Amino acid sequence: MSDKTPMQPGAGGAPSGPAAGAPPPSPPSAPPPKDTYTVLFDGKPIEVPRNVNLIEAAKLAGIEIPHFCFHPRLSVVGQCRMCLVEIEGIPKIQAACTTPLKDGLSVKTTTEKVVQSRAANMEFLLINHPLDCPICDQAGECKLQDNSFGYGDQRSRYDEKKRQYAGFDRTPIGPHVIADMTRCIQCTRCIRFCQEIAGTGELTFLDRGGRTLVWTHDGKPLANDWSGCAADVCPVGALTTREFRFRSRVWYLEKAPSVCPGCNIGCNISIENRDSVVYRFLPRLNPAVNDYWLCDYGRFLSESLNLREIEKASARQGDAVQEVHVPAAIGRIAEAIRGSAPEAVFFLGSANLSNEENYLLRKIADHVGSPNRDVVVDTSRTRRMKSKTAWVEGDHASANYAGAKDMGLSPSPGGYGLENVLSGKAQPEVVFVADAAFSKIAGDPEKVAVLRRARFLAVAARTANALTSAADVVLPAASLAEKEGTFTNVQGRVQKFERAFLPKPPARPHWELLLLLAVAMGFGDRNWTPLDLRRRIQAEVEGYADVTEEELKGGILMKKGTFVSVGAI
Amino acid sequence: MSEKVLLARVGRRDSRSIESYLEDGGYEALRTVLTDGWTAEKLTDEVKKSGLRGRGGAGFPTGVKWTFVPKDTKGKPVYLLCNADESEPGTFKDRLLMEEDPHQVIEGVILSSYAIKCRNAYIYIRGEFYLGARILNRALEEAYAKGFLGQNILGSGFSLDVTVHRGAGAYICGEETGLIESLEGKRGQPRIKPPFPALVGVFGCPTIVNNVETLACVVHIVNRGAEWFAKIGRNEKNSGPKLYCLSGQVNRPGVYEAAMGLQMKELLFGTEYGQGMKGGRKVKAVIPGGASAAMLTAEEIEDCPLDFDGLAAKKSMLGSAAIIVMNEDTCIVEAAQNLSKFFAHESCGQCTPCREGTPWLHKVLTRIETGRGRLEDIDLLEKISNQMANGMTICVFADAAIAPVLSSVGKFREEFRYHVERKHCLVGRGASRPELVTA
Repeated sequence: MSDKTPMQPGAGGAPSGPAAGAPPPSPPSAPPPKDTYTVLFDGKPIEVPRNVNLIEAAKLAGIEIPHFCFHPRLSVVGQCRMCLVEIEGIPKIQAACTTPLKDGLSVKTTTEKVVQSRAANMEFLLINHPLDCPICDQAGECKLQDNSFGYGDQRSRYDEKKRQYAGFDRTPIGPHVIADMTRCIQCTRCIRFCQEIAGTGELTFLDRGGRTLVWTHDGKPLANDWSGCAADVCPVGALTTREFRFRSRVWYLEKAPSVCPGCNIGCNISIENRDSVVYRFLPRLNPAVNDYWLCDYGRFLSESLNLREIEKASARQGDAVQEVHVPAAIGRIAEAIRGSAPEAVFFLGSANLSNEENYLLRKIADHVGSPNRDVVVDTSRTRRMKSKTAWVEGDHASANYAGAKDMGLSPSPGGYGLENVLSGKAQPEVVFVADAAFSKIAGDPEKVAVLRRARFLAVAARTANALTSAADVVLPAASLAEKEGTFTNVQGRVQKFERAFLPKPPARPHWELLLLLAVAMGFGDRNWTPLDLRRRIQAEVEGYADVTEEELKGGILMKKGTFVSVGAI
Repeated sequence: MSEKVLLARVGRRDSRSIESYLEDGGYEALRTVLTDGWTAEKLTDEVKKSGLRGRGGAGFPTGVKWTFVPKDTKGKPVYLLCNADESEPGTFKDRLLMEEDPHQVIEGVILSSYAIKCRNAYIYIRGEFYLGARILNRALEEAYAKGFLGQNILGSGFSLDVTVHRGAGAYICGEETGLIESLEGKRGQPRIKPPFPALVGVFGCPTIVNNVETLACVVHIVNRGAEWFAKIGRNEKNSGPKLYCLSGQVNRPGVYEAAMGLQMKELLFGTEYGQGMKGGRKVKAVIPGGASAAMLTAEEIEDCPLDFDGLAAKKSMLGSAAIIVMNEDTCIVEAAQNLSKFFAHESCGQCTPCREGTPWLHKVLTRIETGRGRLEDIDLLEKISNQMANGMTICVFADAAIAPVLSSVGKFREEFRYHVERKHCLVGRGASRPELVTA
């Protein structure tokens, strides 16, 4: 089920020569070709893969080569001149990113000349930079700050007026991105992102020399589907996103590895939060899914996680709706299910819910003996995401339809599904909707009315809609940031998301609400955790046996036990 | 050498027309090569033997450069680009060749294309040379009409198309990879080397970029032999006829043809050449190879042969052989400031040290020039310069930009000091009007 391709550090392309043809078949006696080079870093020989850039190779050797314009997935332009190193046999200092790897290459990264050249370059970069870190959103995750601290001199000898870009500062250049050219260091990462990854090429260099600036062609907006990534790849505060600008200093933010809820591509994200508030999503490196990128739609769903309209459990008593405790609400549901024939109970799972939650719902249905179960998903326009090697496409408005189906949320023989219920062919007495946030069931008053025909209607929800208003019992459910679990994406990849913070009581994660219901129905153990549910899934669900905890960590483990959000690359 | 070779036809009435070129024995070299069974290799060898070095500035042996085109290009076409983006300040020799004797250039292009098996050549001409582009285009039409271009030239089976492409006004497009980018329709900024253009050049194909004058020389190497060419000049490494662009405060500025290795003094004072300084003033400094070459002082131009090695020995360069003469009334600070303004304006902006360093140099020099300098600025100029070049950038633009600054500060330090302390020029306009510059 899960893709076990080993993750490799990016082949960010050393400048490649003319495309080589297929290698000639080697005679059987020849030794197998080595797929590594031996490179000497400061005299220490290190084996490095052939397909990496010298900067990445050095990183594998534990040596940091400072850089700005180099990015593992963008073409190498060698123009920030920060990655200068000495190469044995070449008198002049060289840019590491443009130096092709070869066997026996001897790289010196600590010589006096290297240190001086880096300091010189930092001085040049800063002479026209406003140094407005106190009011700059990039502060804290700024490569210019980091490299200045690491490799620059404390003092500048520049005593002239700094360059200004009147009319090109603090200006929106698209729906999400705000540009401030006074901070720009002309690394062209954003330009290359738009050309090479997005393929839209909105950005370009204007003018030349010391007046060079990055702007959009003819003032057309930077409005591709991934425009936020242009701000991600910006090493300084020249491009920032309108949505996150001035909202929080980045060093206050805690990061939780998660999976984007926007569609079934399941891009790996980092939920950046503070005091139980989600501030932003950043892409989290996973070469097999979203690589370094995240689409604008998914990225700016972050604010939706802060929505909380259903704060308490409620139950209808005659015509009045009363606030109740969650256990009492669960009790009402259990009572209603028990009071009805199993064939008249309909369980509706959700493509928004995790595998664990959908699994639990199916187990409840099994336990009750109801064959009527289904899962609901809204379709969206096709979304595309560039993995390291290929485009991935998704067209669901939720992350986990595939997983919900895998968990068995399809009508059993003799049972019926959502279609039959909505078309009136089937008339359940009790309807349990595990997640109400779907336009397919809640957006249309007629459909709500059809569901309402049941004697008893229970829903779990975080946001209010026509369905929650119509329900007999409403359970307050937690958001994605407030729970852990796994999603199965369009590739069949099972990916884990972690809890960023606890839900505000009495709201609880869906799995907990479902577990309470299961226990009330006389099944399951109150002490189960998502981990226990995952173990059961591994044991019971076909194709999930090889999904181990290790694999679920997802992304690239930059350091054991930690992960790096792309903001820091 | 009093015989004119490259400029032989300049000044002749109707020198631009193909009829007059044919009357003077034009396209004979092409006929020789195509109909006498010369192979491309033979032509290349001949050019190698002649010792012809690139006339654009770097002085790389032309024949050797041609051999860098891979034998097997894997089906890719080979391109010849004629670099007519003559934009080095003080240089105006290619313009003369193109405007006065375009067929000589075109014949050189055809011959060189034959040598590297090129089927499509481009003449990348500086955008401001509108007249030159018009003349070249007319000459190309004539050459096509006479069968010197197009399909199956002179029945030899060799075909060639030549296109004139006008630049859009950037100095850096005279750098060969910047030129290639520009020709491809991109922003003119130099590429990372390797790969070198001979392997991956324009449109990803093997490409040779040669200067206008270089290509014109090829015609004469074929006509008169490599030995003849190699014998002209000081030695076989600095051979051939050479065009010198003399400008500045001399009596007779202009383009002069002489054997490679002409003495600087001869060029400045010889009756055939510059005929001495205007008003009999003394020489103060000479820029020997265009704005990117280090200045020489009056002492240094004694025994100064104007060729690649002669000037390299004086830590300057022949460059495009643009000799700019400054007399004793020239304020060196102002000259350096003027040159730095050019480089700050023309930096393409991709590499940090050059993008930031060239305007910085200009600002500091402007401060000194306008009487707001400080003594430490003089050292600062050297320090900034030294951290801009020598591998700090992709191309050698930064190395060129610092040459006038380093040489002027190094050789005329006292004048800079005077400028800072007195807040006005030692000589020249600024000296007589100190109140203006201190304002």
